Amino acid sequence: MSSYNAVKIMVDVQNLNVAFGNKKIIHDVSFSVKKGEIIGMFGISGAGKTTIIRVLTCQIEKKNWTGNVKVSDLTPAKKKNHSKILANIGYVPQLETLNLYFDFKPMVNVDVFASNYGMNKKEAKEIARSLFTILDIPEDTWDKSLKKMSGGEKKRVSMALGLIHRPEILFLDEPTTGVDASKRYDILSYLKKLNRQLNTTMFIITHDLEAALICDKVAILREGKLLEFEVPQKLILSLPSEGLVVRFIIEGLNNDKINIIKKFVSVQKIIRVGNEMLEVLMNNFEESLPKLIQYMMEKGIKINSMSRDVATFRRYFQLRIQEEEEKEKILM
Amino acid sequence: MMKFVGKIREKIINTNFKGNLENLKESLFRLLKMVKKEFRLLKTDKMNLIIALALPPIIIVLFGSMSNIKYDPVPIPCIVVTNDSNTFINPNNYTETKIDDFAILYVDAVNKSKDLDLIAVYNSSEDAYVMETARNDLISSRIQIIIVIPVDFSEMLSSRLPGIIECIPESSDFQHIQDNLNAVQDSINIFIEDNHLNPKFVLQAYEEYSIPSNYNFKFNYNITLMLSFVIFGISTVLTILVVVQEKPIARLLLTPAKRVEILISKYMTYMIILSIQVILLITSCLSQGLYLRGSIFDLFIALFMVGFTGVSIGIFISAVSKTKTEANQLFFAFYIIIVILSGIFIPISAMPEYLQVFAYMLPLSHGDPMIRGIVTKAKSVFGFDFFSLLCISAFFVILSFIAFLKRRYEV
Ligand SMILES: Nc1ncnc2c1ncn2[C@@H]1O[C@H](COP(=O)(O)OP(=O)(O)O)[C@@H](O)[C@H]1O
Ligand SMILES: [Mg+2]
Repeated sequence: MSSYNAVKIMVDVQNLNVAFGNKKIIHDVSFSVKKGEIIGMFGISGAGKTTIIRVLTCQIEKKNWTGNVKVSDLTPAKKKNHSKILANIGYVPQLETLNLYFDFKPMVNVDVFASNYGMNKKEAKEIARSLFTILDIPEDTWDKSLKKMSGGEKKRVSMALGLIHRPEILFLDEPTTGVDASKRYDILSYLKKLNRQLNTTMFIITHDLEAALICDKVAILREGKLLEFEVPQKLILSLPSEGLVVRFIIEGLNNDKINIIKKFVSVQKIIRVGNEMLEVLMNNFEESLPKLIQYMMEKGIKINSMSRDVATFRRYFQLRIQEEEEKEKILM
Repeated sequence: MMKFVGKIREKIINTNFKGNLENLKESLFRLLKMVKKEFRLLKTDKMNLIIALALPPIIIVLFGSMSNIKYDPVPIPCIVVTNDSNTFINPNNYTETKIDDFAILYVDAVNKSKDLDLIAVYNSSEDAYVMETARNDLISSRIQIIIVIPVDFSEMLSSRLPGIIECIPESSDFQHIQDNLNAVQDSINIFIEDNHLNPKFVLQAYEEYSIPSNYNFKFNYNITLMLSFVIFGISTVLTILVVVQEKPIARLLLTPAKRVEILISKYMTYMIILSIQVILLITSCLSQGLYLRGSIFDLFIALFMVGFTGVSIGIFISAVSKTKTEANQLFFAFYIIIVILSGIFIPISAMPEYLQVFAYMLPLSHGDPMIRGIVTKAKSVFGFDFFSLLCISAFFVILSFIAFLKRRYEV
C-alpha cells in the first residue's frame, strides 16, 4: 500500500440535497476531500456555498436535507454526533462581531473558546501563542483591548480562535471579503502557511477568485449545482489549446465586431474583458492565431495591440458560468 | 468712490440674505428627509413600534377599568372571641339564673355591620386555645381584627354598667388602623341602638404587629413596600440584554457547547448576583432602621424568590427579543403592567374578577404581601405567595428555555 492511498478522507458528501420548504437550494452535490487539502468554494452570491458548509457544520436540521454526508467519519444527520463533529472542526465566520467578544482581550477570547473544548487555560495559551506568532499578531496586543485592533488583526485573531483546539478541518466563510485589497493576499498566504504547518484541511468559501491560487481543489457552484470539483490547473488545461489565450485591444470594439470574430472557425470562446479588450480561446492555437489575425484584417477590424497568455482561474470561472447560462437558454 | 463702496456693500448684503435663505431652504429640506428616514428606521422594527403605540392606551384602559369600579370598601374580615359566661350566680341565694346573652346579641350586631365581615366566633370556654387560633388567622391575613368579648360582659350590661369591647387590630399597616377601629365602633353603635343600652361604651384596642415606638413606622411601611419593587426591577433590568446583546453566541454554538448549557450558565451567574443584591439590600435596610419581626433567613428567601422571578422574566424577554430596543420596550411593557396590577394602586380584592385572576398571575401581587408578612408579622416565607412565585418563575424559566432553543443563530 502506498502512502498516498493512506491519506484519510476528511469530508465525504454524496448526493446532498437541501430544501427549505418547497425551495430547493442544493441539488445532488457530491464530492470528497482528503486530509490537508485546501478547498475553495466558488460561486456568485446565492449559489449555495454557505448552505453546504452549514450542513457540514451541523447547522441545518436533518429534516431539510438528504444524502450521505460524513465529516471526519461522522454524519451530521445524527444529533448525537454533533458535539463530536464540532470538537473536530473550526469555523471562522465572515463577521468578526459574531465570533469575538470585543470587550475581552484576545487572550481572554482564547480562554472562553478553548474552555468549550475542555482545554485548560495554560494549554490554550500555549497554542494561542504559536498561532498568533504564525499569524504575525504583535505580541504587545495579545493582552490589550481587542477593540483597538485593526480589522486585519481582528480577522487573524478570529482565524486563530478557529484553530485553537487544533481541529482537523477549518471552515472559513469569505475570509477576504471586506479586507483591503492589499491585505487580501496576506490573509491567503497566512492560510497557506497554517495549512502547511498544521496540515489542517480547509474549506474557503469565497467569491474572490484570486483565492484559487492557494487551493488544491476548487468547487464551482451555480444555483445549487456543483459544476466542477477539480484541481484548478486541470480545469484551465481542459480549455481549448490548454488554456492559451490571445488578448486583443481593438479600436471601436462593438458587438458587430465580436460577432464577426466569433464566425472564425477555430474560435471557441470570446470574453470581453474591457471596453476595447477581448480575450479569445481557439483550437490549434499556434496554427490558428496568424490565420485569425489575417481574417480580422480582411474584415477591417483594427487591432491596436495584441498579447498571448495562459488563462487564469478567473477566466475559467467566467467561461464555465457563461457556458452554463447558454445551456440553460437553449433548454428554454 | 464712497458711493461705489456703498453699492458693493449693498450687493453683499443682498446676496448674503438670499444665500442665507437658500441655505435655510436646503437645511429644511434635509431635515424633512431625515425625519422621513427616522420613520423608515422605526418601521424596520415593527414589534417596537407596536409596543410604543399600543402600550400607552392599554395602560390607560387598565387604569380606567380599575378606577371605574365603584370602590366600596371591602368589609374587614374579623373573628369574635367570647370570654363571657352567660350563667349568672345570684350571690344572695346562690341560685343560678340564665340572664340575657348579650354576647350573642353583640355577634348579631357584628353580623349586621357592613364594615365587618365575621369569619368565625370562638368561645374560650369550649376551647382553651382560641386566642392562639385567632392570632394565627391574623398572621396569615385571613382576618384583620380579633374582637374580644371580655369576661362578665353580659353581667355588666345586665347591671346597666358601661360595656367593654376589646379588639386586636392588625396594625402593621398604619394606614389601616383607623379603618379597623372604626369598623369595630360601628358594630358597637349597632349593638347599643338595637338593645337600648347605656351608650357609655369602652373600646379597648391592643395594636398587634405595630412598630415599636423607637422605630420609624413610616420608614418601615415605605421601605417594605419598596423592597419587592426594587429587587424585582433591578434583577429584571440586569438580565433583559444578556441574550440579545451577546452576538458571539452564534459562534459558541459551533463548539461543543450546548444551548442548554449556555442558558443555564446565565441563570447561575445571575442567581449569584441576585444573592449579593439581596444581602446588600437587607443589610442596608437593617442599618437604616428597619424593624424586622421575622427572621433574616425568611426575608432573604422571600427577596431572592421575587428577584428570581425578575431574572426569569428578564432572560425570557432577552431570549425572545430580536434587538436591544425591543428588549427594553418589552421590559417596560411587562414592568408597568405588573406594577399597575400589583395591588398598590387598588387592592386586588377590589378589582373585577377577570383582572384579579390576571393579577394573581403576576409576581408583584405576591411579592409585597409575602415580604410584608415576614417583616411585620414574623410570618414564615413558605406560604401561598411563595409557591405562587415559584410557579410564575418556573413558567418563565421554561418559556425562556423554549425561546432560546428556538432562537435563530447564524454565522
Ligand atoms: N434558512 C433558509 N431558508 C430559506 N432559504 C434559504 C435559507 N438559507 C439560505 N437560503 C437561500 O439559499 C440560497 C443559497 O444561500 P447561501 O448558501 O447563503 O448562498 P451563498 O453562500 O453561496 O451566497 C439563497 O437563495 C438563500 O436565499
Ligand atoms: Mg454565503
